[in-house]
Amino acid sequence: MNLAWKDIRYSPARFLLTVFGVAFLMTAVIGMAGLYRGIVDDALLVVNRIGADLWVVQGGRAGPFAEGSAIPSQVDRRVEGVAGVGEVRRFTQFSQQFDFEGRPRRATITGLDFPKDDGAWIDLVAGRHLGRGHYEAIADASTGLALGDQVRLGLDRFTVVGLTTQMVDSAGDGLLFVTINDAVAIAQRRTSEEVLLARARRGDQRVVSGEPSVAQDSKIAAVLVELAPAADPAAVRAAVERWGDVSILSAEQQRDLLLNARLWKLRVQILAFTVLVVVITCIVVSLIIYTMTIEKLHQIALLKLIGARNSVIVAMIGQQAAMIGAFGFALAVAVSAVIFPFFPRRIVITPVDLGLLLCIDAAICAVGSWVGVARALKVNAREVLS
Amino acid sequence: MTERPVLSVRGAKKHYPSGDSVVRALDGVDIDVFAGQLVGIFGPSGSGKSTFLMIAGLLETPTAGDVEIEGQHVSHPAADLNLLRDFRRRRLGFVFQKANLIPFLTAAENVALALEIDDVPSAAADAYARDLLGALDVASRADNPPAKLSGGEQQRVAVARALANDPRLILADEPTAALDSARGRQVMHLFRRIASERQAGVVVVTHDPRSIDLFDRIIDFEDGRAVERPTVP
Repeated sequence: MNLAWKDIRYSPARFLLTVFGVAFLMTAVIGMAGLYRGIVDDALLVVNRIGADLWVVQGGRAGPFAEGSAIPSQVDRRVEGVAGVGEVRRFTQFSQQFDFEGRPRRATITGLDFPKDDGAWIDLVAGRHLGRGHYEAIADASTGLALGDQVRLGLDRFTVVGLTTQMVDSAGDGLLFVTINDAVAIAQRRTSEEVLLARARRGDQRVVSGEPSVAQDSKIAAVLVELAPAADPAAVRAAVERWGDVSILSAEQQRDLLLNARLWKLRVQILAFTVLVVVITCIVVSLIIYTMTIEKLHQIALLKLIGARNSVIVAMIGQQAAMIGAFGFALAVAVSAVIFPFFPRRIVITPVDLGLLLCIDAAICAVGSWVGVARALKVNAREVLS
Repeated sequence: MTERPVLSVRGAKKHYPSGDSVVRALDGVDIDVFAGQLVGIFGPSGSGKSTFLMIAGLLETPTAGDVEIEGQHVSHPAADLNLLRDFRRRRLGFVFQKANLIPFLTAAENVALALEIDDVPSAAADAYARDLLGALDVASRADNPPAKLSGGEQQRVAVARALANDPRLILADEPTAALDSARGRQVMHLFRRIASERQAGVVVVTHDPRSIDLFDRIIDFEDGRAVERPTVP
């Protein structure tokens, strides 16, 4: 006879309310852990997928993901000449606000060195990769753009030819991929007044001589290096660092900078909140099980009176706690699967994280059971008569 | 009636400190109960009869004295009552003023529980529980929870639970106090039958003089001392 199950069937409403409470607390824990995982995944997305062994960035700086980086757009030709370098690509990335269908939108413009890089490393859910050198874009669905949409960026109109999902930067803005030349042009957008003021400062001599009236310092953020087979990365790094005007970072250093510099405080904050919710869950579950035990003290005293072993009483409390934990966790996973896709930031729930959270859930229920059992074992059989 | 008592309480004292004085709840009680006997314990409130039942039922240790059940020396001032739980399960049956049934179990389950905690398989426990309920005329209520039983039915289920492990000693504390006179009389008849047919020693603490004719022996408690009434031939 399973006393725990009999008790639950006797008062299912109380059990269900308890399960709902635990489920929502566990949903919050799963959400916090998933938010953490999502932010880390989003931040590392480009570094992990773009397939660069080394990143050549502005001298004395830590690269485009940690701080501003601007290098001349011709640096790729210099890098290409270094022994051991297999392939180079130019790269730039910056945030951009634009209007679409009368509403302001945000995107992170990412320049691809077309035609070397047409975005083949990007997983599309619709459309195609870049096929022309200008005015085509691959947009993440979170930007609000759809396949075939035309959007004005800088002074030009771009057509969305490919669509991705879950490709955002560390701030959660959707990525918008264009060719690097288009990206540079978007970044160099000038207002008419700005051009006029620049011309006024410099006079009309350059116009006469055919030079541009406004400085066109064409900058990119980084040059991506793929090493030749059997190349010595240290030798390549040493050769590039000797130039002095640029720095060179490995993909691993980029990951480290992202996680332990740029996102460090955010990660700690999310983990702190996760721990806080876990502690609150533990306290609430312990209180619930303690209260359920208190409500059954008379029955527990009776069980002792008729000679029930402690194992009978421990099993009753432990099984109820386990059922609360198991049903609560299952419901939390189901609720998470339903509601988190609607959250503005990506919530990544991995089987490993779920396994770990299930262990935490089990540990919480064990603590709760221990609190209940400790109280139950203090009950004296003669309390039946009180 | 066998020579060896089912219950033998010798020199039992229970003293509680109360401020500077000592309350003598039991003050040297000697009682033997034999198999087949229905023993009534009478006395005013505070006379020590419930304390006696606690000590005889291994729910409290005496301050002095010894308790033997079926010839085994089981309780004394230094006894660990938790270690006597197995003994209580197999040798003693309890019935109280309130039925004290577990609300989330049916009548049959309440009775079967007493067997299952003694490792009797579930199906066998259920069958025997239903037999017992049948013998006590509550078979038709076997699948009802306690809340749907009348007071008398609940008390019969409690008696069935007390009988489940076939104990040789049954201790009842005011079992008819919550019942009307007719149902109270029925329950006392039940104890009479149990003592006679099962050859169990049944000790009933009661205030109720209406069933006095059913007892084999009557012991009066006063100020922690027990005095046996002379038997009417």
